[in-house]
Amino acid sequence: MSCERMREQIPECLAGRLDDAARERFIAHLDTCSACRAEVAQLGVVWRGLESLPLPEPDAAMRSRFLEVLEAYQAGMQQAQERAIVSAKRSGRIFAWWPTRTAWQAAMAAALVIVGGLTGRYLAAPRAAAPAATTEVAQLKGQVENLRQLVALSLLQEQSPSSRIRGASYSDQIAQPDRQVQQALLHTMNHDSNVNVRLSAVDALEKYAANPEIRRALVDAVPVQDSPLVQIALIDLLVQIDDRDALAAFRKLAREPQVDADVRQRATWAIGKLEVPK
Amino acid sequence: MEDEQLMQEVKAGDVGRLELLFDRHHRALFHFFLHLTGNRAASEDLVQEVFFRILKYRHTYQPGTSFRSWIFQVGRNAHLDYAGRHKAEVTMPEEVVEFRSSETAPDRQAQNRQQTVLLRRALAALPREKREVLVMSRFLELRYEEIASVLKCEVGTVKVRVYRALRDLSDRFFALSGERAS
Repeated sequence: MSCERMREQIPECLAGRLDDAARERFIAHLDTCSACRAEVAQLGVVWRGLESLPLPEPDAAMRSRFLEVLEAYQAGMQQAQERAIVSAKRSGRIFAWWPTRTAWQAAMAAALVIVGGLTGRYLAAPRAAAPAATTEVAQLKGQVENLRQLVALSLLQEQSPSSRIRGASYSDQIAQPDRQVQQALLHTMNHDSNVNVRLSAVDALEKYAANPEIRRALVDAVPVQDSPLVQIALIDLLVQIDDRDALAAFRKLAREPQVDADVRQRATWAIGKLEVPK
Repeated sequence: MEDEQLMQEVKAGDVGRLELLFDRHHRALFHFFLHLTGNRAASEDLVQEVFFRILKYRHTYQPGTSFRSWIFQVGRNAHLDYAGRHKAEVTMPEEVVEFRSSETAPDRQAQNRQQTVLLRRALAALPREKREVLVMSRFLELRYEEIASVLKCEVGTVKVRVYRALRDLSDRFFALSGERAS
């Protein structure tokens, strides 16, 4: 075997990973080749020296940070499951009373038209002011909503990435987030230093995708994101909300050779999805 | 329980099982990133990021894939993203090495310390691809098959890359030591 082939085995030999037969061949070669012996000696100094490099232990707080993120993620999963169950029950409840026979369906439709007409007449009639109790409840709801917005905004500005992730997830609990929360989420998606936080912001923005301004911002963010992971999450979201305005950006992305291969592939997939006539 | 079986449970939705996988692998990942970035805080953040990616993309884990190879693949991608954002050169922290053996003579201790500092500098100066393969082989003791799976290349290619990386490191180390690198 040539010296070159033998020398490629030096790291395995120094690590003690050569099998018996290979080791025998290696030693037999060294017996006859002084240049390879010198090479083994020199590389051996470096290989053994690496062992003396001290490796600091990770901070114990790292584990608690991880558990915090895991807990937040599990809570998010549970909430999503509960929402799915409630929504399934609701849709079940809504349609449970609907008759299955065509004749009854027609009768039910006619009854609904009559009820609708009567309700319209009632609503159009002048009415007294809402009772004080209803106003108070509305005020209270408004205060709780403001408090939630404040908590989400302050968490999004926290130093620790896991707190910012909680901020992004928390914003999901706000029924009607104001412009400030939406802008904070967009800013987090575009500028946060941590990829996980940016991904959480993308997830949180899904709820506001009906807003044309948010949709435009999501499309604009795809080419400028430096993380392929965030780009793929954005592409997936834009496909999910069927945003055909994103097609031009995806086509450009799929053509750019310097764009990450996975992102290009995902963009091509997204073009195929969005181009299908609905 | 095997890593692969635990990951299958995580994939199936029992994400709490990831805690055990974190306990088993976070230290090796931390050392991997520390050698690549030279930055303790960034390395800790990268470890968190790897486990977050595993949570988020757990459905992409293929049964039968070595979990250790997969986690380092995820780690490598996380580091590439990080390196894209932080173009600065890697600087390894030059910590004072404490030799535990009381039998080592003081002048020998000083020599060892000097050697460690130079080796650390030489390692930090290696191109990223070489440092990466050497760290996986020497410090994390990944088998060549596992490294090949992480780098998506042939085992023979890994063998050549590890040798070339060690050779380059040796040249740099002896050049720094003022000795001839043959």
